[in-house]
Amino acid sequence: MTLDHRRWLPVVWCLTLVSVTLILLQLRGRIDQVPVVLIYLLVVLGASATGGRALGFTLACLAFLLIDYFFQRPYGLLTVNGINDALVLFAFLCTAGVTTYLLAKAGSATQMAQQRTAEIASLAKLGSEALSAGSASEGQNAITRLIRESLKVGECVVEPPDHEVAPPSRAEYSLDHRTLRFPLVAHGRSVGTLRIRSDETLALDPAQRRFLDALADYAALAVERARLVAATEHAEVLRQADQLKDVVLASLSHDLRTPLTTIKALAQVSARAGDPNAVIIGEQSDRLARLVDDLLDLSRLKAKAFQIEAEINSIEDLIGAAIRQLAGLPALPRFTVTTDPAAPPLYAKFDFVQTLRIMTNLLENAARYTAQDQPIEIHGRRVGSCVEIVVSDRGPGIPVEERSRVFEPFYRGRQGPSDTKRSGLGLAIARHLAELQSGKVAFAPRPGGGSEFVLTLPACDPEIAVESDTAQTL
Amino acid sequence: MSVEASAPPARRILIIDDELPIRRAIANAMRTIAEDVLYAESAVQGIDVAATERPDLVILDLGLPDREGIEVCREIRRWANMPIIVLSARHSEREKVRLLNAGADDYVTKPFNLDELTARVRAQLRRVSLHEPSGATEMRIGDLLIELPRRRVSRDNRRIELTPLEWEILSVLARHPGRTLTHQQIFDAAWTRKFGNAQQYLRVHITNLRRKIELKPAEPRVIVTDPGVGYRLETDE
Repeated sequence: MTLDHRRWLPVVWCLTLVSVTLILLQLRGRIDQVPVVLIYLLVVLGASATGGRALGFTLACLAFLLIDYFFQRPYGLLTVNGINDALVLFAFLCTAGVTTYLLAKAGSATQMAQQRTAEIASLAKLGSEALSAGSASEGQNAITRLIRESLKVGECVVEPPDHEVAPPSRAEYSLDHRTLRFPLVAHGRSVGTLRIRSDETLALDPAQRRFLDALADYAALAVERARLVAATEHAEVLRQADQLKDVVLASLSHDLRTPLTTIKALAQVSARAGDPNAVIIGEQSDRLARLVDDLLDLSRLKAKAFQIEAEINSIEDLIGAAIRQLAGLPALPRFTVTTDPAAPPLYAKFDFVQTLRIMTNLLENAARYTAQDQPIEIHGRRVGSCVEIVVSDRGPGIPVEERSRVFEPFYRGRQGPSDTKRSGLGLAIARHLAELQSGKVAFAPRPGGGSEFVLTLPACDPEIAVESDTAQTL
Repeated sequence: MSVEASAPPARRILIIDDELPIRRAIANAMRTIAEDVLYAESAVQGIDVAATERPDLVILDLGLPDREGIEVCREIRRWANMPIIVLSARHSEREKVRLLNAGADDYVTKPFNLDELTARVRAQLRRVSLHEPSGATEMRIGDLLIELPRRRVSRDNRRIELTPLEWEILSVLARHPGRTLTHQQIFDAAWTRKFGNAQQYLRVHITNLRRKIELKPAEPRVIVTDPGVGYRLETDE
């Protein structure tokens, strides 16, 4: 509805009132008072619905006078005769007044709602533009441009968080009232400051302030989005680098083994021919091969890429295989299995190959810290729903202050021999592998000196032991 | 074991490897046990030489440029049963199982020790001679005596009682001394049915078997575990 339209509305409704009165005058005497009052009420309602409260009340009063003057006896006089006429007039005035009031109120509420809808629509549009704009910085620019245009200020910029200057906790005006600084908060944390600067004194009405608040929220989200996009891009770069590293490591280990084989084989040929240097070359190539293995293990440990297939396995088998693998150690330590051979065999659920690594790591570790004439004891036992394998040595033990670090990668005991042949990953890998199959590796000082490493695995009773193959013998 | 470890005459060994220095080093080591050493530097050439020259044993490197080593293994197995020893740079047990199931007799992981390789070659050659008609039907490991035709195993002349399944497992291992048999291979040979979790059944029975025939079941000397791959009967050198 245009303003021009509104100006003519009172005139239109007054003319309507006059014509209605003229028509009704023709019918006076033939119709009752009630239809007359109702028709006037209709006119008043129409006026207040289209023209608002003031027009409605004015017409109501005019109609009141007209009814009294023209349609209540004695005609042509503004007097009220009898209770009946008084009631009609009073009812008319009340009805017209109340409905005019209600209509006007509903009208203004509708208008406000429309205004709100338009505001929300424009904010939503802005939001989607800001958040889906080609690049994160474009979205941010769209918002600052909108603020500049809608508030007609000269400058609007987003300042990144400054570690030296604390961000304002709420909107702050500068002393000359020309600059407004506004905190930008996204997901509960400060992401920067919005600064608005105008050549004149800034005077924002409540509606503008509300609008600015909403826009500031969008600006904060846009800034946050820009940060997240940057972080994602960075993470992607890191991921690719990590992947590349894995590929390089895998092919390294494969590619390194081939030339190592040649070097080792040729060194052995020369060593047989009596070349003392060749023996050293052979030893060093062995060491290099071990380092390659350690490198691979480290990358697997970091990437948590050990593959586990837990199945029912025999503890005896595991211990036997572990001892056998260490039979090649230069100074063969004395391993003693102290499990009672007459007790029923122990079974547990574990991945044989990976658990064998746990065991060899524990045994190697014990062997490294134990004098050659001291035995290393291996004991398997059932404890509730678990099977424990205890590796005990009479080495120097581990000082209290180092105990918490035993299972950290690259930990090497200070009291151990200064051998640089191993990387110090053994126990870290052992613990990780145990945890992968619902087990654990723990350390405890051994009563009487030395260390005890306990590998715990989920026990299991194979019912199949009696399967078809009964006690029937040959 | 009753068969003497003397090197039988006229052994011919084929080395399939694309790297000349490794070929040379292996050949050098093999000369102590073989009369003639043959070479091939690709899969195609290797299959050709194996077919035309019929060597007594093949050493096959898996890292060949032209074809997958496992294919060479299968191809040779189609028409010949000489031992094949595989050289592999990969450490995975799965790979080893795949190779053994494809017909390889043994594998050696790079970088390997020449003495170890030589010992494996010797063991394989000995195993072949066992299979010849005059081959041994009984074997002695320490003081343990396994008599295949009589289905009897004893220590110090005292008979050890085994269940039928335990005997089947022991005899299939004894028929391939020194050779790792995969869990599947042992299961297929010892069990009459073809379903079930081979490894799980086998582990329980092996544990029971060891308790009967090993002096120290937790430190077995007769039936040795090849971790993640299978079991093998160790023979006295």
